[in-house]
Amino acid sequence: MPDNPFFQLSTEEKQQVQLERLQSTLNRACRHVPFHANRLGVLGMEPSDISALADIARLPFMERADFSEHYPYDLFAVPLRDIVRIHTAPGTTRNPTVSGYTAQDLEHWRRIPGRALRTAGIGANDILQIALNPGLANWGRDYKDGAEAIGASVIPNTPLSVEKQLMVLRDYKTTVLITTPAMAGHLADYTAEKGIGPASLSLHTLVLCGEFIDPEFRNSIETRLHVRTWLHYGLSEIPGPAIAFECQAHGGLHIQEDHFLAEIIDPETREVLSPGSTGELVLTTLTTRAFPLIRFKTGDRARLLEDPCSCGSTLVRMKWDSERTDDIMNIDGVNVHGNQAGFHLKEMMGMDPRRISYRVAHQQGRKVLEVLMEMNDAIFSDEIKELEQLLRRSENRLRENLGVPVAIRLVESKG
Amino acid sequence: MLRIRNLKCFYGRIMAVKGVSLSVNPGEIICLIGANGAGKTTLLSAVCGLLTDWSGQIDFEKKSIKGLDPPAIVRAGISLVPEGRQIFAPLSVLDNLRLGAYTMYKKKAHAAIQQDLESVMELFPILRQRQRQPAGTLSGGEQQMLAIGRALMARPRLLLLDEHSMGLAPMVVEKILEVISLLRSRGLTIVLVEQNALAALEVSDRGYVFETGAVVLQGGAGELMADKDVKRAYLGKDYGDFYDAG
Repeated sequence: MPDNPFFQLSTEEKQQVQLERLQSTLNRACRHVPFHANRLGVLGMEPSDISALADIARLPFMERADFSEHYPYDLFAVPLRDIVRIHTAPGTTRNPTVSGYTAQDLEHWRRIPGRALRTAGIGANDILQIALNPGLANWGRDYKDGAEAIGASVIPNTPLSVEKQLMVLRDYKTTVLITTPAMAGHLADYTAEKGIGPASLSLHTLVLCGEFIDPEFRNSIETRLHVRTWLHYGLSEIPGPAIAFECQAHGGLHIQEDHFLAEIIDPETREVLSPGSTGELVLTTLTTRAFPLIRFKTGDRARLLEDPCSCGSTLVRMKWDSERTDDIMNIDGVNVHGNQAGFHLKEMMGMDPRRISYRVAHQQGRKVLEVLMEMNDAIFSDEIKELEQLLRRSENRLRENLGVPVAIRLVESKG
Repeated sequence: MLRIRNLKCFYGRIMAVKGVSLSVNPGEIICLIGANGAGKTTLLSAVCGLLTDWSGQIDFEKKSIKGLDPPAIVRAGISLVPEGRQIFAPLSVLDNLRLGAYTMYKKKAHAAIQQDLESVMELFPILRQRQRQPAGTLSGGEQQMLAIGRALMARPRLLLLDEHSMGLAPMVVEKILEVISLLRSRGLTIVLVEQNALAALEVSDRGYVFETGAVVLQGGAGELMADKDVKRAYLGKDYGDFYDAG
């Protein structure tokens, strides 16, 4: 664990810092964002009513739908002239999610991944390669900035085929690869297939992010590639990667509590659960200037471990669960919501969204979003060629908007 | 060392500080910045016991100061250098300093007081030169030094300075900030309240930004100095300035 005084604070000291930051976050949000001020106003509350961390339970939640509704800039808490980066990610409806960053926010987004990478033993002697889907482009940038800040030599994220990724990995003598579990699995398969032994690679560390990884699969990747793996948790739409990260004890992910406040709620009743229970992870930003999140429902299932970690850090840990609490599909780390695909398909082919279903499928070892569309007269054409073209165009448009590979299949109408 | 939670201060029915939480660690210099009327001085008054109509929690070295009167708070180790200095103009410089040690006179610690007088005059040699003069005849900067010296005579562990640079020439302000840094290096913990924040942030470790009774931002001093909101609002710079400077 890097030498950061915050990581060693007693619970009481940590909570004091968190309370101070929570209160100022609320003050800023309510002064500058009508959305936040109105939501508190409706409840007859003011920021000064939050006098302890537990009082956060009195505040309303934010959900992904709020981002679309306030597209593009209505949730920004600073004037646009203070924004230095604008990032777009797939949303849950037609509108993408737009987040902004001030120069200070970007500084934090160097530190956040930086310290998570340092904890994994990464430093100036490492050559670090980033291989993430276009849907995780902002993570690619944050990891690049964070890794540069700790002195590593970074090969930034470029969409390459697995063959090219492997070429870079081998020829550039990459020691650290940041990627998703699915891509890591794909790489392990590919190297085995090509007869490339781990000894011919300099790779010793994999940082896995974007999706939960099953311990068995993780073991198999470690054995096949001769690497140590470190799991990171982040939010792909907003703000970024490594919000929680593994320490050398690998016993859950430490949440970066100087920047985020975590709660676990019952996804049904929305009540805060007692420590140790599994439920939906809810995050509040504590230092973000441009795009504060207050009680954001992540849709990820987790459990908080409050007992001390053997690494000595007092940052709370979370156990990440494979399931989600919502109907978002995770494809190679990118969160995809069927609704969003539905909007595009309706526009392109006039498809009734109720006649479309979605699932995650595997194609040549890669995860893809499979769209199952019921055939109807509107899209049916005598010319198979025309229909094919329409489907390919739709796939391209979805891929562009969602940032993941898409395959559309036509299925028989259920009538 | 000093921990404040949800401090709400009232002047009659007006809430001047609206639920402020802040903390000061031993050996730190903390700067409170914000426009006039943002609640900074009110907060200091509550910490010193001069304002009693407050709710929330103020702990100094893990003990609540609720209900303590100002002398008890001085004895506990907190001294204030008030806004406008408030020295006793007709009294000599020396007597002003001795007054600062009144909590120690009760203990008959005369030798210790003499020693403290020496060290204050070492810190501010000008006060030694002027020790017999009525304090009212000193310049603004000298009066500020006297006010700090007087506060130090109570042997505080936490020194609160309210608007120490008000109405002073930049050179004098710099001299005072040098002394503040020196005091910190000798182990004193310091809270500075400032409207013109740039110089104060330069010697501080961290800062809290106040706006109409609430904290809207906190962070490392360097972080705050770079912050555009802070620049615009409290450093008196506008866009043109940073483009020109950049």
